[in-house]
Amino acid sequence: MSTLAPARTRVRPSFSISVDRHKVAISVLIAVTLIALLAPVLAPDNPLVPVDQPFLQPFTLAHLLGTDSVGRDVLSRVLLGVRSSWLSAIAVILFGVVIGGTVGMIAGVSSDRIDSLLMRITDGFLAFPGPVLAIAVVASLGASLFHTLIAVAIVWWPLYARIVRGEARAIMSRPHIEAARTFNVGGFRLAMRHVLPGVVPAIIVTASLDVGNLVITLSGLSFLGLGAPAPAPELGAMAARNLQYLLQQWWVCVMPALAIAIMAIISNFAGDALRDFGSRGQ
Amino acid sequence: MSTSIFFIKFVAKRIGAAIAIVIGLTAVLFFLQSISHTNPVHAMLGAGATPKAIAAEEVKLGLNHPVIVQYFNYLNGLLHGNLGMSYRTRRPVASDLATYLPATLELAFYSLILAIVLGLLLGVLSAGEFKGTKVLRFVLVAGASTPQFLLAIGGLLLFYGKLNLLPATGRIGINNPPNGPTGFYTIDGLLNGNIGVTIDAFKYLLLPSFSVAISPAVSIGRVLRGSLIEAMGQDFIKTANSKGLSRFRVLIVHALRNSLGPALSMTGLQAGLMFAGVVVIEDVFAWPGIGYYTAQSIPSGDFPAIAGVTLVLGIGYVIINTLVDLAQIFADPRLRHLEMRKSSAKKPLSNLTPNAI
Repeated sequence: MSTLAPARTRVRPSFSISVDRHKVAISVLIAVTLIALLAPVLAPDNPLVPVDQPFLQPFTLAHLLGTDSVGRDVLSRVLLGVRSSWLSAIAVILFGVVIGGTVGMIAGVSSDRIDSLLMRITDGFLAFPGPVLAIAVVASLGASLFHTLIAVAIVWWPLYARIVRGEARAIMSRPHIEAARTFNVGGFRLAMRHVLPGVVPAIIVTASLDVGNLVITLSGLSFLGLGAPAPAPELGAMAARNLQYLLQQWWVCVMPALAIAIMAIISNFAGDALRDFGSRGQ
Repeated sequence: MSTSIFFIKFVAKRIGAAIAIVIGLTAVLFFLQSISHTNPVHAMLGAGATPKAIAAEEVKLGLNHPVIVQYFNYLNGLLHGNLGMSYRTRRPVASDLATYLPATLELAFYSLILAIVLGLLLGVLSAGEFKGTKVLRFVLVAGASTPQFLLAIGGLLLFYGKLNLLPATGRIGINNPPNGPTGFYTIDGLLNGNIGVTIDAFKYLLLPSFSVAISPAVSIGRVLRGSLIEAMGQDFIKTANSKGLSRFRVLIVHALRNSLGPALSMTGLQAGLMFAGVVVIEDVFAWPGIGYYTAQSIPSGDFPAIAGVTLVLGIGYVIINTLVDLAQIFADPRLRHLEMRKSSAKKPLSNLTPNAI
């Protein structure tokens, strides 16, 4: 690895934080997942029905994030929105890891001919402008959260295919594979027992960085009205539908958008921390 | 292989690939149209149509032919600029797009320039380990994590709501803006000798283009930072450093030129994401472009309109990426030699290992 060669050596201030960054990263990711799973329990009010006067100010004990145009509790709606965004992102990633990972693994351990065929197909998918195509797919299937997830999953898996294939190819040239070959280990066992464990770290880092990208992409589609229909608490749609109140009742529109940003920031920092941890050993 | 033959072959290959992708895109869109949940006949005639009218409309739309014939009719239509009829506006999609496209092109053009300039700045400054680099790195990560519509509504709240410096929605505040010759108000104003139009257009452009540009700028900046840091470890940089050149000069003059390649391909990739961003941002600012047109078409399930937009944006994306690929080969001699070696080495290699592994 090449490093920056500074013209002068500078004494760096040492931040001696005793906790490991990657442990913090994993705990925060788990914490957000728990919040997402427990959102229906954590939400103070029913997110779908009016519970108070409309447009109550935020930061009060009764309604921490205020109420919206019909008097629904914004905090409850944001919590449920976080649940839908976060779990949707994870679902798309799981799909990507399974489909893309399988394609990438087959390409990685197979002959050059199969490899180049599979990668051609993958590159073909990458050649399309994914998010724009996703809009067309949802528009064709009809707006619903499930259709949005399908659309995004279709344009998302090639990323994982490329990463897994690259890692698998690199591992295939290592001595332990040659050793396994001498013992006549079959292709399937070779992939699962000898290559897969080496690919997992790269998948984890990519996936944790990717949650943020997906949360943002999905919220963009939801903002355009390509998510679950009206009363459902979706962050992008909440921001879009309350845009008209932005100047007077800003919180109704800003809070859901902030929730998206916070999820994405957490995912990005966690992914960075995990990557730094992973590259430490090399 | 001689260099000029290699160039011709390379350019031809790239253009061929681009055409193949566009044809693939038309096939995907045709497939989506045929599985679309809105029936085009019902959409055109309404719910109370008689069976006779429905049959007549089916013939008119060519739906009585087999699927493969329908696809070739569709392709033939595309070649003649026929993108179908919009269910919502009841006008040909092509003429709708012609109305809305200049606004989008102007927004995308300035956003792209802004993204490149900001990306270069972020990349160079954060790779340079100047004072405050840590803060800048934080800005990079946070910027990459901000949904574009949050930037847009934040900008609206601050510059329109609080300070009242910039306009909120639309593209221009002057009545009867010049129409033509370029369709860019900022340029048309100058060409028509009306500087007020240009200034007003820039005011309206500022918030939307920043909202679109920030996230691609961050991605470009991140990639540039990475390749700059790699370049800074190489021998020619050590030479420059030992000559006693300033840190800034080493970075800008010596390292930057060698690091632009990855940032360039990132710019091409980001163009696709930028188009999606443009759709959302146009919706927020009621910017009268094809993104706004898409956002209007979504609630009414106007698939021909959305397919038309997807096709136009998809072609734009393919063109940008082909140009980026070509630009890289022309600009970077190392890459050129790599490609040449690859294309001449391909045959013997595959002969040697017919079934490796």
